[in-house]
Amino acid sequence: MPKVKIKRSHPVVDMTAMCDVSFLLLTFFILTAKFKPNSVVAVDVPSARSTTIAENVLVITLNKEGKAFVSIKESKMRFAMIDQLEQQYGERYPAIKGLTDDQKRFFSLVDTWGTPIADTKRVTSMNGMELQQYQKSLPGIPYDSLNNELGDWVMAARYAAAESGTPIKIGIKGDKDADVDYVKQVIKGLTAKDINRFILITTLAAPAGDAAAGEAKEGEAPAAN
Amino acid sequence: MADIDTSGGGGGGKHGGGPRSKKMSTRVDLTPMVDLAFLLISFFMLTTTMNKPKAMELNMPKKTEIEDDKMDVADCQVLHVLLDTLDQVWYYEGLQVAGLEKTTFAGDGGIRKVIMKKLKRVPTTCPPLRSGKPREAIVLIKLLKGARYKNMVDILDEMDITGCKTYAIQDPDPIEIEAVENGGTVREFARE
Repeated sequence: MPKVKIKRSHPVVDMTAMCDVSFLLLTFFILTAKFKPNSVVAVDVPSARSTTIAENVLVITLNKEGKAFVSIKESKMRFAMIDQLEQQYGERYPAIKGLTDDQKRFFSLVDTWGTPIADTKRVTSMNGMELQQYQKSLPGIPYDSLNNELGDWVMAARYAAAESGTPIKIGIKGDKDADVDYVKQVIKGLTAKDINRFILITTLAAPAGDAAAGEAKEGEAPAAN
Repeated sequence: MADIDTSGGGGGGKHGGGPRSKKMSTRVDLTPMVDLAFLLISFFMLTTTMNKPKAMELNMPKKTEIEDDKMDVADCQVLHVLLDTLDQVWYYEGLQVAGLEKTTFAGDGGIRKVIMKKLKRVPTTCPPLRSGKPREAIVLIKLLKGARYKNMVDILDEMDITGCKTYAIQDPDPIEIEAVENGGTVREFARE
């Protein structure tokens, strides 16, 4: 009797299609990925459990010393913001008047701004090396009630946003060890300008166990003093 | 697996013809390439989602001078929460600053429990509003000078976790500052 021959062959799956799909996805993710801007100001953000996603935000960064900085992600918006500041508040701040387009472009390339308005012209005509040096110790934007430049920056950003048609949110990114008084003062300065909705930028909280452990440690520290 | 598959070429000599040149198949095993692609995909997927900044919303009241807008608040509704410089939480109910008590942010035993209890108790024990609706708890958050910003975020987070809808951030009264500084005790004459 003829034996039935069982064909022995290891199954080969055609991977071409899978490869196509995976590379398609890969290209998609690579193209949509955004580079994280190198942050000039180091801020340790507090963590919270309740979160929404922050998008299209003007971020007011507040560091430990209570210095304030503004940043917007898109450089186009930054250009519009300084343009609006000149148009709307040129009378109040003569120092902002008569900025050249080159200086405005320079401004739009700097992603974190922390200079009093009086100094704008000097800083926007710096070269790369000078700017790097300068950014090591940014003076911050004043936000006290007498000289509320921060509020005017925010208003300028809102004008710019209104012109471009996409509303902008006002985000506060404070250092977790910053004095709450600084934050209160910033908020007060903005509510005076009828800006009442804020988002506080946070990170996701660590799992419950970690948080409790951290809390306990922090509780001990003051007792030891 | 990664070698070139040569089995498809035939040439088994079934027909007994002359020597045939082996046909090399041009199939290349793509498995490692797919592996690599998926590895990179997962990397980019994870990094893009992790990169999105998270935030919590904070709405401050509008400045209104209109009397009608003011809320009808009873003493029994109110829970005052004070945050001090040592990451401690102080709280008292109603108008009795003297009943100031200390707690922490720690998990379930801390301020969360206090707020939860208050939320549960107010609708049943407080007299209802003029419209007949039950009252809800109101938390007044007072941040003392020198408190850390982290604590402000923490207490706002607690509001969200406990589901407390009515809360406000206020400046502390001098008597409250004094009470916290004295470790919870209030001098008798301090309140007129």
